[in-house]
Amino acid sequence: MSMLKIPMLKIDGLHVRAGDKQVLNGVSLEVGAGEVHAIMGPNGSGKSTLVQVLAGREGYEVTAGSVSYQGRDLLALPPEERAREGVFLAFQYPVEIPGVNNVYLLKAGLNAVRKHRGLPELDAFEFLALVREKMKLMHMDESFLNRGVNEGFSGGEKKRNEILQMAVLEPTLALLDETDSGLDIDALRVVANGVNSLRRQDRAIVMVTHYQRLLEYIEPDRVHVLSGGRILKSGDKSLALELEKRGYDWVKQEAAAA
Amino acid sequence: MSVVTLQESRPAGERYRAAFDARWSTSDALVELRRAALERFAAAGFPTQRQEDWKYTNLRRLEARTFAPATSTAVALGAHEQHWIANAGIRIVLVNGHWMPALSSVGAQLPGMTLLTLKQWAEHDPAAVAALLEQSARPQPGALEDLNLAFFEDGVLLDLAAGAAPDQPIYIVHQWSDAAAQLMSNPRVIVRAAPNSRCTLIEHFVGGAAGECFTNAVTEIDVAAGARVEHYRIQQESQRAFHIGHVNARVQQGGHYSSHDIALGASLARLNLGTVLQGPGAHVDLYGLFAPVASQHLDSHTTIDHAAPHTTSVENYRGIAAERGRGVFNGKVIVRPDAQKTDAQQSSRNLLLAAGAEIDTKPELEIYADDVKCSHGATTGQLDATALFYLRSRGLDEAAARGLLIRAFAESIVSSIGTPAVRDHLEKLLDERYGMSS
Repeated sequence: MSMLKIPMLKIDGLHVRAGDKQVLNGVSLEVGAGEVHAIMGPNGSGKSTLVQVLAGREGYEVTAGSVSYQGRDLLALPPEERAREGVFLAFQYPVEIPGVNNVYLLKAGLNAVRKHRGLPELDAFEFLALVREKMKLMHMDESFLNRGVNEGFSGGEKKRNEILQMAVLEPTLALLDETDSGLDIDALRVVANGVNSLRRQDRAIVMVTHYQRLLEYIEPDRVHVLSGGRILKSGDKSLALELEKRGYDWVKQEAAAA
Repeated sequence: MSVVTLQESRPAGERYRAAFDARWSTSDALVELRRAALERFAAAGFPTQRQEDWKYTNLRRLEARTFAPATSTAVALGAHEQHWIANAGIRIVLVNGHWMPALSSVGAQLPGMTLLTLKQWAEHDPAAVAALLEQSARPQPGALEDLNLAFFEDGVLLDLAAGAAPDQPIYIVHQWSDAAAQLMSNPRVIVRAAPNSRCTLIEHFVGGAAGECFTNAVTEIDVAAGARVEHYRIQQESQRAFHIGHVNARVQQGGHYSSHDIALGASLARLNLGTVLQGPGAHVDLYGLFAPVASQHLDSHTTIDHAAPHTTSVENYRGIAAERGRGVFNGKVIVRPDAQKTDAQQSSRNLLLAAGAEIDTKPELEIYADDVKCSHGATTGQLDATALFYLRSRGLDEAAARGLLIRAFAESIVSSIGTPAVRDHLEKLLDERYGMSS
């Protein structure tokens, strides 16, 4: 208790524009190591923009504010540097890349991260052993390895593949963008079990979601309501239940009155 | 050098006629055949962009230069073997268009297969070679095929007996000597695959870094009933070279011809690839990859002529243009009036990697029969920004991510290569070209 706790992720007054549209209007958020945060909000509230900006997607202009990750200016780093520093984005719409082998991408990504951390690259044998273990966790069979990245995968398979990548890359900060969308209840359970098994004291998870359903499986420490490009309200997991019951309008009204 | 300048202001026909008279002063059946070809070339001249088939490719730079017919020179093994594809098959090396026995596989005759060099044969029996050339050439050759016929020094005749199936590919290296400059080479390869025979033919064009050279190569292939010929043509000459290729394949009943046209080299390259399906059940696969960088201009001009019913063809070409590179694909498909039940599929997909790069793709379908299936598709695009971000978000740096996506784009051509030595070689070339380390 004697040490001052520096948050792993500190977003301060972040303003972001996409084209001529202002999408984020001053988002401030702190996430500590070991914490799981859920960001909820109506369509078009800026949830996906927030995590994409954090991962380094081009096409957005940060007009004001800052993001510090482990004490460093995150926004100054290219996407691959962020990944190597431990930031991982599970995509809402994982990209199909025919001609690039799934296992090749996993290995190239893992070895890039390991090299950055000063660890030796894994040889083919060590790597396969690791991947097999992680695939078991995600209930994926080995045929996935030699297919093109996400090529012809069902929606559920794509989401499982994202969490498999997360399990292999072992990020410090995982950003999950609507990882529950398009999943049936069995697939949701597999994905949630995968994520839960990756919860650790030195790892933070930020989940973007529409629905409270995901939070029944992955229990958050904090819940935030993002609307109109700002965080209007924050609370514990009971806030998610209230949102499920009452929708978002009351939060907006409350914020307008304040 | 004012003399050279004066010479070069004369029409190409006159300049090459002077070179011809200096080279062949005797008279025999073969020289007469050459002379007739020279006169046809002189009358027609180099093709111009006014001709529809040459709309996108300007040969003025080639026409303005005069190249001397390359004579045979002694060459050392060490200087050349670094360019070869290792373990590709029975090797025949032509340096500056001349067969070099010392560089070629020894005792290279397999059962049912006859390999002859045209030069040796012509020294003994020019009339027989003239007859072979007349019989194997297509009926109305283009001007540059005539130029080849007028000037060819050497070449390869590959005869396969009925049912013969050599267990190794025939690997022909067309190579420039290290010091070659201002030279032209007109090699001619003739393949006659008798009924039910099969073979793999690899033609590999390399070298030419010392000076400007001009390759004008002709390959004539006859695929008899039930025979199969797999043809790989890998053109990776120096980026100073001029390269014109002509491949003519005729396929009889139930015969298969497959081609891989890989164009990576030369300053200016053009391949005229013509196939005729002459009997029911004949099938042709044409795969191609052209990948210009810097200011290269690479043109693949293909024709598939369905001249008999129940014939099928699949054509799959990929173009990748970087920097100021320029690529051209022209895919003509002809379905003759009685070629009912023809099935022809064509796909041309192209990738532009820079604002200054350009690819012109042109499907040309001429269909004169009514009960046929013909499909074609052509696309031109850029690297997918979302896919690029996806790969970078997994830790790959931008160059590696771009390289990976470019390789993925070429993958359908690379993976269709059935000969491992050729596939490995192409993978290596692409990795070098697009800066991939692994």
